[in-house]
Parts: sequence; C-alpha cells; structure tokens
Amino acid sequence: MATITPAQGELQVRTLQRSPLSQVRGHLGGLWGRPITQAIAKAFLTIFVTSTITFVLIRLMPGSPVEIKIDELMQQSQISYAEAAAQASGLFDINLNAPIQDQYLEYLGNLVHGNLGNSFLSRGTTVMSIILSVLPWTLFAVGTGLLLSFVVGIALGLVAAYRRNSLLDHTVSTGGSIISSIPGYLIALLIVLIFGIQLRWIPITQMRGAFSPGITPGFSPAFIGDILFHASLPITVFFLTHIGLWILSMRSATLAALEEDHVTVARARGLTDFRITTAYVGRNAVLPLVSQFAIAAGAVVGGAVIIEQIFVYQGVGLRLVASVNQRDYPLMQGIILMTTVCVIIANLVADLLYSKLDPRIGRAGGATGK
Amino acid sequence: MPVLSVRDLSIEYRTRRGPVQAVRDVTFDLEQGETIAIIGESGSGKTTLAVGLIRLSPRSARITKGEIRYDDGKRAFDVLSLDSERLRRFRWADCAMVFQAALSAFNPVITIWEQFLDTGRAHGMGDKHKVHDRTRELLDLVHLDPKRVLSAYPHELSGGMRQRVLIAMALLLDPRIVILDEPTTALDILTQRAIIDLLRELRGRLGFSTIFISHDLSIAAELADRMLTMYAGRVVERASVDDLFYRPRHPYSVGLMRAVPRVSGALGSVVSIPGSPPDLIRLPPGCSYYPRCPFHVERCLEEDPPLMQVDTPDHEAACIRWEAVAAALGSDAEAPVAEKLA
Amino acid sequence: MTAATGLVDRRDVSRIPARLAGVVEFLRMMSRKPVGLIGLIGVLFFLFLAYVAPLIVPLQDQVDVTAIYAKPSWTHPLGTDFQGRDVVNQIVFGGGDIITTAILAALFSTLIAITFGSIAATVGGRLDQIILAITDVALTIPQLILLIVIAAIFRPSSFFALAVILALLQWPALLRQIRAQVLSLKERDFVEAARSLDLGLLHIIFREMLPNMRSYIVIHFIIAMTLAIYAQAAIMFLGLVPLSGKNWAIMLYFAYNQGALFFKDSFFYLMGPIMAIALFQLSLVWLASGLEDVFNPRLRN
Repeated sequence: MATITPAQGELQVRTLQRSPLSQVRGHLGGLWGRPITQAIAKAFLTIFVTSTITFVLIRLMPGSPVEIKIDELMQQSQISYAEAAAQASGLFDINLNAPIQDQYLEYLGNLVHGNLGNSFLSRGTTVMSIILSVLPWTLFAVGTGLLLSFVVGIALGLVAAYRRNSLLDHTVSTGGSIISSIPGYLIALLIVLIFGIQLRWIPITQMRGAFSPGITPGFSPAFIGDILFHASLPITVFFLTHIGLWILSMRSATLAALEEDHVTVARARGLTDFRITTAYVGRNAVLPLVSQFAIAAGAVVGGAVIIEQIFVYQGVGLRLVASVNQRDYPLMQGIILMTTVCVIIANLVADLLYSKLDPRIGRAGGATGK
Repeated sequence: MPVLSVRDLSIEYRTRRGPVQAVRDVTFDLEQGETIAIIGESGSGKTTLAVGLIRLSPRSARITKGEIRYDDGKRAFDVLSLDSERLRRFRWADCAMVFQAALSAFNPVITIWEQFLDTGRAHGMGDKHKVHDRTRELLDLVHLDPKRVLSAYPHELSGGMRQRVLIAMALLLDPRIVILDEPTTALDILTQRAIIDLLRELRGRLGFSTIFISHDLSIAAELADRMLTMYAGRVVERASVDDLFYRPRHPYSVGLMRAVPRVSGALGSVVSIPGSPPDLIRLPPGCSYYPRCPFHVERCLEEDPPLMQVDTPDHEAACIRWEAVAAALGSDAEAPVAEKLA
Repeated sequence: MTAATGLVDRRDVSRIPARLAGVVEFLRMMSRKPVGLIGLIGVLFFLFLAYVAPLIVPLQDQVDVTAIYAKPSWTHPLGTDFQGRDVVNQIVFGGGDIITTAILAALFSTLIAITFGSIAATVGGRLDQIILAITDVALTIPQLILLIVIAAIFRPSSFFALAVILALLQWPALLRQIRAQVLSLKERDFVEAARSLDLGLLHIIFREMLPNMRSYIVIHFIIAMTLAIYAQAAIMFLGLVPLSGKNWAIMLYFAYNQGALFFKDSFFYLMGPIMAIALFQLSLVWLASGLEDVFNPRLRN
C-alpha cells in the first residue's frame, strides 16, 4: 500500500535525495570499497536473516508447526512419537534427531543449493518448482501495474507542478491522495462489487485465473491477449493503488527542481521550455523517485496477496494463502524467501539505475583542482 | 547610439503584506563597449534590476512601467514588448547574464559539453562541430583545458573553474551585452583576482558592453567606466568612476566610500552607515535616505528628489543638498578609496 | 519543527482561558486548509461511532432467518447480513476492536522506533550501524507476507497479541526517519548544552530532543494507525485470524465468503464495511496532512 500525504511525499523526496546505496556507504564510511560490494553483502545478509527468521518461526517457536505435525500424524495414524517424528523428518526434510545447530546448518546448506524442500501436499514436487510456476504471473501483473502507474503518475505529477494551484493541480493531487489512501484490496473489492456485480460492466467470472482454460501457452498473440485480459484487473488495481504516490512525489520533486538555480540559468540561456522541462527539471526531479520505486516494489508484493485472492489470479499470493490454509509449511517458508529475494533484486536494480542516472554518485575524483 | 537605454523601469513584488517597490524609476544608458557598475547594499534592488533586464524575474514580480530599449545598430526594440519566443532568442544571444552562484548554475546530471551544445542548439547553431569549435575557442580564452572540462560533470569542477565555464558559455553567441551579477562573491580572493583579470582581458578582446553588479566597490572600480549607486530601489547617483570615488555628491555614495577600509588607513577611518534601508512596502514620503543622512534638512521630506546635474553634465545625483556635500568633502584631502586604487 | 503552540498569535483570544485559546487557534490554523479539518472531523466522527455509539445503541445480535439480505428500509437502513442482522448496527459495533488494535499497534511501533532511532542516532558508531542494518533488512522483507505467515503460525487470540504482531512489522520506516531527525537535532546548541552539563543519555533524548519532534511523532503515529488497519483488515479478510466478535474486517470476511457479492440486496453488507474502512483511512491521512501543514510552516504554500 502507498499511503502518502502531499507533504509526506515531499519529506520523503528530501530524505531520498540520495540513493539507499549511497546512504549505506555514507554510514559505513571508508570501510567498504566499491558500492556494488556493499549491495551484494547487504543482499546476502538479508537473505541470511530472512531464512533464519523463517527457520525460527517454523522450528523453534513453542507450538511449532513441526510439533503440531507430529501430533497430527500421531493422531491420524495412531503411531508412536518416534515414528511420527520420523515421518515429520521426511516431510520437513530435516533430521529431528540432530542437535538444533546441525539442523540449522543443514537448512542453510540446502538453501545455498536452491533446495527449499518439498511441498507437504504434493510430496513429489519441490517447493522451488511450485514457486517458479506461480511467481512469474505475479511479477507480470505487479510489474506492469507498477510501471504503468510510474509512467503515468510522473507525467501527471510534472504537469500538476507546472500548473501549480490550477484546477488540474488540485484535481490531480486530491484524486491521487484519495486513491492512495484506500487500501488496494478495498479498491479491488469495489471494482468487483460495483463494476462487476452491480453494473455488470466487467465479466469477472470469465476473468478469473491467469489464463483461460484450454488455451495453449506460447508466444502467440492469442495467448498474450488472453493473459492480458486475465491480468487486466489486477494490473488496474496495482496501477490505481500506486499512482497517487507517484503523482504527489513527482509533484513535490518537480516543484523543488523548479526552484533550482540552474533552471533559472537555463532560462537565461534561452533554452526552449521543452528542453528545460525534460533535461533540466524532469531528469533532476525523477531521481529520488527511482529510489521510491524500489521501496514500492517491495511493498507491492505483499499487497498482491489479497488482490490475487479476490480476482482468483494464480500468482504467488494466491498460493501463499492456499499454503497457509493447508498448513504447507515448506511452501510458506519458500514463498517468504523467494519474495524477499525479489524485493532485494528490485532494490539492487533501482540502486544501479540511480547511480547510472545521477553522475554525482559513484564517480570518484574528476577534473577538480584549481 | 547607446546599446541599451533603460527609461523609468519599475519592478514590484507581490507579497502578503503588500507590493514591494523593489526597483523604482531607474533610468540609464549603456554605450557600446562601456562597462557600468551598479553598486549598493543588499536589498537596494540591484539584482532585481539585473534580472529584470532580461525579464527573468520570479513569478511574484511585475514590471509596472518603463522601457528597455536595445539597439545594436542592426535591430532596435523594446525588450519589454517581445513575445516569449523572441524573448527567448534575445536572451543569451544579444544579452547574456553571468550569475552569482556559479556553483549551482549548471544542470548536475549532464556534462559541460552537453550544456554548451544545448545553448548553441537553442539558438539555431545546428552544426555540432561549429559549436564544438567555438566552445573550444572560448574555453581557451578563459584559460581552461577543453578536453578536461567538456567531458566533466559540474560537480567535478572547482568553483573557480565553474565560474570561468559560465563566462565562456556566456560569450558563446557573441552577445552585445553581458550582465554580471556579483560574479566573484562566492570565490576566494585569489580566484577573484583571476576572474577580474580575465574579464578585463575578454572585454578588451571581444568588445562587449558590460553591466556589473557588485557590493564590492574596489572590484567595481577596477572594471567600470561609469557607476550607478542604487538605494531603496532608485538610482541615487550616476557618475564616472573617477567622479564617484573622488567627488561623490550623494550622501549615500559618500557613506559607501567611507565604509570601505583603506589599505593604509588608520583603524578609526572606517565609518559604517547607521540605520537600515527603508521598508519598501510603505515608503516614507520624501527622500528615502532621510533617516540615515547626515546632511538632511526639512525640505528633504517634501519629495523624493530626482537625479540632478552636479559639477559636470555627466555627473548626476539625487540630492538637493549636493552642494553641501561637495563643500564638506572639499576639505577632505583625499577621497577614502583613492589610495587603494593607486 | 516547532510545536504548534509556538506559532500561536494570541491577540484575538486573550479573553479566553489559555488552554482553550490554544485549541481555538489550532482549529483556526487547521481550517486554513480544508483537507486537515475534514480529516479531523472524519476521525472524530469515527471515534465517536466506534466508542461512544455502542454505549447508546443496543446490540442487535439475534439471528433472523426471515430477513436474510433484506433490502434497505427504515428499520435496516443498510439492509441485513447473511444471518438477518442489521448492517448499521454491525458497523457501529465493528469499529472499536479495529481502532483499538490500530492504536495499540501504532503505539508499540512508535515506541520502538523512537527508542531505537534516537539511541542509534545519539550513540552512533557500531550500535548505530547494527540498528541500521537490522532496520534495512526488516524493510526489505515483504511485510504483509511475513505478517500472514506469523499470524498463521501464532494464531493470535487476543487483540493485544495482534497489536504486538502488527507493531513488529511497522517500525522500520519510522525508525529511519526518527534517526534522521535526531541526527540533525544532535548538532543543535541545546543538545550541546545538555551534553556539557553531563545530563544522561535518556534525559537528553526524552527531555531535550523529543519535545522538538512532537509534531513529527504525532503525524507518524497517525500514519502507523493507517498501516495497522490496512494489515488487520488484510489478514482478517483472508480468514487467518481466529478472532470472533464483530468488526469491519470480519464483516468483510463473512460478506465475501457468504456470497454477499452475488446478491443485489446485499450490496450494503459489503459496501458498509468497505466504506467504513476506506473513509476512516482517508480521514486519518487527511488529518495527518493537515497537521503537517500546521506544524511545519515551511511546507505551507
């Protein structure tokens, strides 16, 4: 979700004037060499911590799922604790007799090999393969929605800033603020309720699922059209949920960029308004938004869960809810990890992009010297 | 034929408390090849005037009356009457402005070369090579290495280098007029010296006319032919450099001269002007310098005096008591700043 | 960032007792930008609805099979639910739990953020780096997904427990901003003065710096509430939390799962809680926006 007030957007823009990466570098001082090393180190640290958290959640907590499973098995099949434990071992893919540290290390070891264990429900299928089959759908819908909202939101924010205090500005800003305050899933429900059921404008039953049954997957236009059809509602919801943030942030950033001295000088130089808007105001205003994009990418994966539920869209979110209801712990674990990895990658990409776009970051020295 | 004739230019700002008369009835001529320095305290309206000449005032400012007549021999027009496209072409090509904060005068995300190219392209120089040649030429003139500078980003250059680049860029289109607003204020003293020498050299070579805004009298004295003193938005004295330094006739000019410490002077010789500038929203009647003026009389409150000729035809001051001022100064062996210039 | 009272112009309200004068002035500043005032009214309305109204209106809990999904009428302005119970009544009684949990969660996460954010900023060095690293990691993990799994495993059975869980997932963003604020305040004179007087760390944090961040904290508290409501509604809607009782989110869950979507007359059974949640969120956000304008003169146009 992207709850943002106009002034908050402005505050965020100011704190995000530098990329998250450079902020990390600033904190750690001269200890680290190139920024890319830091980023990768941070990535590994995050994965490590996340996997530890899931390990603790699943194994160590009182009333842990493992214990519950053992109880279940004992009751279901009337077997002894030892036998149930053995079965649980197989299910969870861990050696319950080994000391806890060893279990932890084995778990980590498996992770390094990309082995996330097997799903409880479908014993033969690995968690990794399940996730890989559903994750692309989520990424597709989320990615498209986010990107579209970014592009449109930036354009609207720029225009709103240029026409400050006009009717357009007030409409766009207030509209953006309202839409971004309402949780995404409520918007989804409203769409289904109002446009789908009450007004019957949208054939929602047909739009369930990621693609229509019977269609052969492939790169044919028919298939692509079909998945777009099915993904259109989730994409619309992601679009609407985030557009407010981009509009308000870009508006703030543009207003700040317009105040900069170099813009005045550019006007004095007789540059055309178009050139000033794109290369002088626009490029500088968009910079902090790139960092915000990364943060939004992280948040959106979570919000996708409910939206997929509502639209019955077979992405990773829908699977997560199913796995929770079915107590498929390895799958739950795996989903947490994989989605975190996605967020990490998004952050890395955003940081790289930012350092490419802002020459003030990462270029050492230069032609200084009096 | 003066290249720039400003008549009765008045600029006001909208503020919450009311309109601020930042520039009032400013009139002066700029001859071909001449350098005029405009001096005064902060808040006197100097920068507002400079920015107003190319109509780059912020949105809250309005030019309420006046005329800015530009005449380079081939074309003549009133700058205030130009539409936005013609104004855009006028800027930089006919009249360029070197700003005070060269530190942030450049777009931080594109290279110096691209900014030169932008400038050239905006004014019809379509051929990249021509722009490149001219840019290299100018960078040489300002004593910078084109190879190092052009591929750099603004933050990679020092303050002094950026100021030079800005000066070079200002001359890209061979303007008739260059306005310099406190071009050396943000720089250290050695760089200041270098920039001033550079400006003198360029002026000699390329022959443009200059309007130089400064609160630093010594620099103004070095570069200017004639000087304007501004106070509370009005021009209060118009004179040649010599006349202003040796024979100031407006009490404010006198005060300014006295406020500059002499190199050789005794410690007690610096006298600052007591009081502060008037509120430009609610101007008191009569001469706006009245409260701080050591020469004031009752009659000064009656009306704001216009510029009147003093001593010679080329020397004007807006003071009805100028003769008293002259008399008071006559007994002073040297004018305060004369020594510094020797 | 100055506290609101520093900007009060008391000329016109000199006759009214000081406390009241402060409130009047505050309202006047808020009304300059309507958004904040509307938000304030909205929040007050919902607080009244959630906490005061249940004391006045009797609870209508009986199942009435004859009135399932009844159309809106005088006795049931928004119709009835799948068990014939009045929708309006449910909305009235449905706010308290959610709002209380949100307030608790916001309180906890704000406390965590303030404590560790200020400590990180004032102590600096290694501790700062550690806290920052933890925060960055916490920010990276998709919060709702982790929340869903935690809720599924721990099955919080009280609202208090739920609030604790929610708080654990919201502090990172606020902590970073508190830390940034404290860092900038650290260099200010009054902190120097306090340090040279050898006042303890806690004293410096709580008596010197925090009062300057009051406005900042209030605004973030409100935003934290919106996040808590968002998360609560999410996991309740998914049916992950075995909490009984009535609240808007559970209404949503039942409505969705009892097929309220497909009947024309049950429209309000769904719309009711949706609107309640959405409007409350909006009010909170607008209130925060209005407060920002009041507290931070720089951002005023």
